[in-house]
Amino acid sequence: MTDTTADIRRQIDALLAAPLFSTAPPEREERLLELLRSELTYACARSPRLRHYFAAWPIDFRTADRIADLPYLPVGSFKTDPPLTLVDPEKVVRTVSSSATTGQTPSRVALDAETSRRMVKGVTGIMRDFIGPRRRPYLVIDAPETLRSETEIGARGAAIQGLRPFAIDVVCCLKLGSNGTLVLREDVLLDFIETWRDQEILVYGFTYVVWQHFVAPLQAKGVKLAMPKARLLHSGGWKRLQDQAVTRDTFRAGVAEVLGCLEERVLDFYGMVENIGIVYPDCEHGNKHVPAFGDVIVRDPLTLGPVAAGQEGLVQVCSALPTSFPGFLVLTDDIAQVICYDGCPCGRRGIAFRFVKRVPKVELRGCGNVETIRQRLAAA
Amino acid sequence: MPDPVQTVESVEEILGRARRLREQALRSDLSPLQVIEILERWGDALRGPTVDSIPGVPFLRLWLRRGTLEPVVVRELGTEGLRAQWRAEHGIRLRTFPLGVVGHWPAGNIEIQPMLSLTCALLGGNGSLVRIPSGLVAQSRAIIEKLCDVDTEGVLTERIFLVAFDHERADLQRAMASAVDGAMIWGGDEAVTQIRSLPFPNWARIAVFGPRLSVAAMDEESWREPQGRHIWCQRIARDVWQFDQQACSSPQTLFLEQGADADVADFVTTLAEAFRTENRLHPRVTIHPATTSAICLSRASWLLQDVGHSAVFPASPDWTILVGKSSDLPAPTQGRTLSVLIVESLLDAIVKFDGTVQTLGLAIADGDKEVGLTQAAGRSGVDRIVKLGRMHVFGSPWDGTDMIRPMVRLVRHVPSADMRS
Repeated sequence: MTDTTADIRRQIDALLAAPLFSTAPPEREERLLELLRSELTYACARSPRLRHYFAAWPIDFRTADRIADLPYLPVGSFKTDPPLTLVDPEKVVRTVSSSATTGQTPSRVALDAETSRRMVKGVTGIMRDFIGPRRRPYLVIDAPETLRSETEIGARGAAIQGLRPFAIDVVCCLKLGSNGTLVLREDVLLDFIETWRDQEILVYGFTYVVWQHFVAPLQAKGVKLAMPKARLLHSGGWKRLQDQAVTRDTFRAGVAEVLGCLEERVLDFYGMVENIGIVYPDCEHGNKHVPAFGDVIVRDPLTLGPVAAGQEGLVQVCSALPTSFPGFLVLTDDIAQVICYDGCPCGRRGIAFRFVKRVPKVELRGCGNVETIRQRLAAA
Repeated sequence: MPDPVQTVESVEEILGRARRLREQALRSDLSPLQVIEILERWGDALRGPTVDSIPGVPFLRLWLRRGTLEPVVVRELGTEGLRAQWRAEHGIRLRTFPLGVVGHWPAGNIEIQPMLSLTCALLGGNGSLVRIPSGLVAQSRAIIEKLCDVDTEGVLTERIFLVAFDHERADLQRAMASAVDGAMIWGGDEAVTQIRSLPFPNWARIAVFGPRLSVAAMDEESWREPQGRHIWCQRIARDVWQFDQQACSSPQTLFLEQGADADVADFVTTLAEAFRTENRLHPRVTIHPATTSAICLSRASWLLQDVGHSAVFPASPDWTILVGKSSDLPAPTQGRTLSVLIVESLLDAIVKFDGTVQTLGLAIADGDKEVGLTQAAGRSGVDRIVKLGRMHVFGSPWDGTDMIRPMVRLVRHVPSADMRS
């Protein structure tokens, strides 16, 4: 087992050190398939429950000849307490939870020191490919409290931390108000701009936080910041803004107007805590790409087989990085469209896809729907 | 021919249609016998490319037969009720009359439900104002066109108005509710709660069907032998496949009595084969991504929860069998996901039912045992106890209530002079 684990570590580190987006798809599939099979074997050895689940899978992962046939976990499987882990509790250095909306149970993933290190390395490598390696002043559109917890951190905190390697000075321009809501610290913001006005600046915030607590209040006051060299990254999904009828175009235009920069400098990236160490920024052609240590399979909801280029389906994310929790192959509740399986004009190899929407809330339908009654009774 | 499913945009149109339907219904007597005569012709006409592929049409054909409907009317309204005649009873006379116009709110998941609902009101002599769910417009149109073909004099079609409007048009929902004398409401918890809260007239009779779920149960004697096991598994598969397991009468769980002489693994193998066969015969052509997600999660959750659990499923979301030991009813997944729960005694499971179970589909070899289980099921809130394989066969009573009688008035006449014998 120790040899196996050491071999897995070696393979992961080799992938992390390799060029991220230049491997030809067949070669990537071959390398990743072998590693993922080893990781599933490792998971079986560490978790009887996972071994049991994988054993019921219609295709034996040990003989599977493509990543699409390997057993995956639905994202809802991570909403357990305690979280699904593959390491002893004393090895867990941090637990990261997802940004569940009110009333929903968040996903929780346990990180050991190694997985945590790989997470930082993975995200840093990907972001470097999109925004360059330079360190720069970092404006965080969030409150300092989001970053404080040592052992338990949310998706927002994790995303903010993930960009720290690119920062020389970190400033949070929001604070928690007396009723717990986020409030813009205009004095801090203006000081930051005054100090770094002519520099290349990195700005990050969760999509809805950027809009509700940064763009909207500044627009309301007619404030336009002179930050032409700002590059704003945002993530976390559109659901809350869709409820307010804020489209992607409205968002980009609003951010660019307030920051005083070009819309091209507003970069949306897709990511989730269960897919640790991988983020999916839009390339200059509006597509998302996967690094050498991961993959994305878009599955037809009718067959669960991979869709053809141009079609939409359920997104499955794959990552070779985690060894502290079973986040190797995760079926998400998101819908994406495959643009092509190779040949994006940006030059990045492999699948190019676009996020389309979240799967609408899973509800039982029709006259057979008794779950809501049961839930209500249980809550009473 | 005008479109038999009309899209309505204004409150006035709904109120006007309801008024005309009421006038038509109350203008002259229409006996259940006359209605049945036309319904039977409708059932015979329900064949052909436009309707053959609509799920549930074979059930509808069965329901529309004279041999099905006459006994229902006789049981609910009496022999005289069949001819819309007065009957004498202890010196008084009784006769049923229609309420007037009945509003129907069928669920969006059962293609034939608008038709089943309106036939009940028609048999009571009522007019029917039916809100067709947006996903069922094409199917409802195809089915009702067959009625238009056979009802050339418009006896029934003039008493029916099928209306389509966005379910979020609260003004149209309120108008429809305020204009009817009775309501037949079908559907899930949210829909039923919402519709019941509409401003119905004080006199309106309201019948609610659903939301419920259904369960199957088999004793060991029924599945011990390979041949019997094979037949029962085919029947379960049919009940699961019909209406894509979304109906209130769809089995979500099968309680399987454990026996000393039979291996559960053999049963699961046979059931999986029956599911494969049914899937080959009736493959899905579409699925909501949320259903796929729910199916995948149910598989993983079940297996990760307990290493004593097992499951059989293909790589696709086509069907799923979850196997474990428990007498507790699990939360349903739908999407052709059947929980097979092994119990020492079927009674252990049945006594735990909490009123949400509508139908209990049985495969019980021992008649005495079945009588005991039926008694327990009735006490535990089950409203229908039927043979496995026939869980969806529509009949009266449904959900523990009559289908026609709630939508008629029983008029009592105490003669002013002594009645002549």
